[in-house]
Amino acid sequence: MSDVLEKALAEMGFALLEYRGNGEFLPIATLPTWFSEIWAETRNSSDPIPLTRQSPFLESFLLEAEDFWNSPTPAGCQSETWIEKALSGREIPVQARALLLDGNQILALLSPDAQFRERVRFLQTARNALLDHERLAREIQKKEILLHCIVHDLSQPLSIMHVAMDSLSEESISERSKQFLTLGKHAGDQQETMIRQILRTFSDDLRASLDAGTEGNVSSDLLECARKTTTSLAPTFEAKGVHLAVSSLVDLEAKWLVVAEESRLQRIFSNLLENALRYTPAGRRVAIGVEDEGDFLKAYVDDEGPGLPRDLRPEQIFGLFMKGKQSGGKAGLGLYFCRITVERWGGSIGCVTLPEKGSRFWFRLPRASGRTAASPSDAPDASNLKIAKRNPGIVRPLRILFADDQEDIRTLTAYQLKRSGHKVVIAKDGKQALNAFRSASFDVVLLDQEMPGMTGDEVARAIRKTEGGKKERVFLVASTGNTTSEDVRRLKQAGFDDVLGKPFRLEDLNRILSAAPAATDTSMPSVLPGAIFTELVARVGGDEKLLKRMIHTFRRDTPNRLAGIAEAIRRKNPEALASLAHALKGSVSIFGAESARKHTQELQDLGRGKELSRAAEVLALLKEEIAKLQANLRGYANQTPARSKSNHAKRQRPSRNRGKRRR
Amino acid sequence: MLQKKVCMLGSFAVGKTSLVRRFVESIYSDVYQTTVGVKIDKKNVQVDEKEVSLVLWDIYGEDDYQKMRWTYLRGASGYLLVADGTRKATLEKAVSLERRVREEAGSIPFVLVINKSDLIRDWELDTALESQLSAEGWSILRSSAKTGEGVEESFSLLTRKMLG
Repeated sequence: MSDVLEKALAEMGFALLEYRGNGEFLPIATLPTWFSEIWAETRNSSDPIPLTRQSPFLESFLLEAEDFWNSPTPAGCQSETWIEKALSGREIPVQARALLLDGNQILALLSPDAQFRERVRFLQTARNALLDHERLAREIQKKEILLHCIVHDLSQPLSIMHVAMDSLSEESISERSKQFLTLGKHAGDQQETMIRQILRTFSDDLRASLDAGTEGNVSSDLLECARKTTTSLAPTFEAKGVHLAVSSLVDLEAKWLVVAEESRLQRIFSNLLENALRYTPAGRRVAIGVEDEGDFLKAYVDDEGPGLPRDLRPEQIFGLFMKGKQSGGKAGLGLYFCRITVERWGGSIGCVTLPEKGSRFWFRLPRASGRTAASPSDAPDASNLKIAKRNPGIVRPLRILFADDQEDIRTLTAYQLKRSGHKVVIAKDGKQALNAFRSASFDVVLLDQEMPGMTGDEVARAIRKTEGGKKERVFLVASTGNTTSEDVRRLKQAGFDDVLGKPFRLEDLNRILSAAPAATDTSMPSVLPGAIFTELVARVGGDEKLLKRMIHTFRRDTPNRLAGIAEAIRRKNPEALASLAHALKGSVSIFGAESARKHTQELQDLGRGKELSRAAEVLALLKEEIAKLQANLRGYANQTPARSKSNHAKRQRPSRNRGKRRR
Repeated sequence: MLQKKVCMLGSFAVGKTSLVRRFVESIYSDVYQTTVGVKIDKKNVQVDEKEVSLVLWDIYGEDDYQKMRWTYLRGASGYLLVADGTRKATLEKAVSLERRVREEAGSIPFVLVINKSDLIRDWELDTALESQLSAEGWSILRSSAKTGEGVEESFSLLTRKMLG
């Protein structure tokens, strides 16, 4: 090599060395300065340099280089950048490349100093920005929680103010006092409006949780909402060249009423469709549809995108601040909003990768009985609502046990309940409430959540334990300021039938009390009419005792079987999964639980196919179905066909003794 | 003396470089300096009366800008999987990295280190996931490169696991 060429290469920062075996290299050109800074003391000019002993990175790279020298490929063999420390302590970036020149095994080393520093600057900026974004998101989340706490504290005295002024308005007071009262009530309403506005401004979620206590009675048409959203988003889909349509499998004439508020239901569809659009390439299709699942109706959005990310579990996708990697996502709140809203309405949400291509995002909501949601303009003004006392005909006298550790709320609420014609026993804490419950019979137990000694949750669990799964259960109502979907789910699990959100108006309380008998009924076995029981009896040859034994066995064994399936999935044991799912399938088939049977069949198929990636998700669906079946069977176990018919008819009529406990 | 190659794996900004610097040089800086490429350090440790030379490969944190090069794991005797207790997603990333290491390099000893224990009040750790991982036999330690808490222990535990 000519001197000029050698010097040029050195000037450009290249070190060229020929491999001599045993990890040693001989320079074939003048070495650049940076090289000497790192390895200067290791060599005499004529000696090979034992580079791999000096550099663990090169020792590792040499394995790749030798592969290349033995079988060269057009792609070549080049390392990424690594950092060597100079004798002075300076960090020097180095890259290596293996070359095969005229049969000679050459190692070219380069220190891409300027480009490296530019790359470091770029990555530092990008990652700092990402960290700032994460930090900001966490701050926002913290502020939302703080806001929730503040609102809770503001709501407590507002409850007292509302009830106190409602009570006063029932008294004989002077016209002047009535004017003052009107002013006070107006100010109270204003404050409540302001709290709601704060929530609306800062967080849809928190606003929704404040409204949770009043939204359970509204319903909307699932398909109608889907169509409206589809129409409004059609131009956006057209602009991207993605075809959007309602699935041809949907019965367009049927009513698809679910428990949901229309504007939020549309927002859910909108979020799911926008999510689908983000991942669907031009020329492909997004389909929206609904399906009947008995007590629930299911909606879905199918896309033809790449499917779900493999490194995320489906439930993670609906997490707070969870964003997809592709561009176009917003703050990571869209799918989170969908989840908390659907769960608040008593539904569930999920997603799966479709077998052929794309993914399905679905949610299911409880089927509604028929009443559609009033639009905001149709909603009656709270101040014009008549409380039960003013319409004595709509309130049945109930025996109510009311526990709250705040004396003001206790006194005022008890006063109003008594004025409404109810018999009220008050308790100042959880233990007192439980003792009172054990010494008398009640139709309704209304429990504050945060009480000293025993919380409302703990009292509720103790009451349900005392009842021991009897058919006639007392109607349990939780009174709490925490009404997020998580809270409501937790309270329902504790055994509560309904939740009274604070701050509450007497209208809210009376609404819940008037619904109490109906709510009690829905937890009774009447959900499965006697005719079906008769059919089941017929299925086992008319032997009622045998059927009850089978029910007893099923209820006893199923939790263990489900646990076994979960364990098989956790241990990644497809054979055990298939076997356990098969056994459970037989049991659920006997009771005609078609959805549960389908899920067990699916688990069995997944086990046989040794494909467990979706098993946990299917198991979750199966558990939901089993829970419903268990609840129904609990009722079956205590009735005969004749009794069930008469009981069913009887339950259509209000009864004062409904909540009476049997001893 | 035995020589063991140890890789540092984890999301960006979880503190891999800081842990190495604390362990090797007993120094710490609050300023986040992103790692580009690979840095290699050595430290001799004595574990159970055996002297071992640890060759620490501090590999850049994988993100959308830099993808992990799995050939770096070649010859590794173990790895320290690092997560940041204040960033929940980094634990999930650690779980996915462990799975990918198993796919690429087979089962090799590792220790999950949840770093930044000095900021424990800001932790947003998924305790259910942590418990689940413990139940699956993962070795999990908490550390702070800032205070030094758990740093020596993490490397010692990994060395013991590597020595079998």
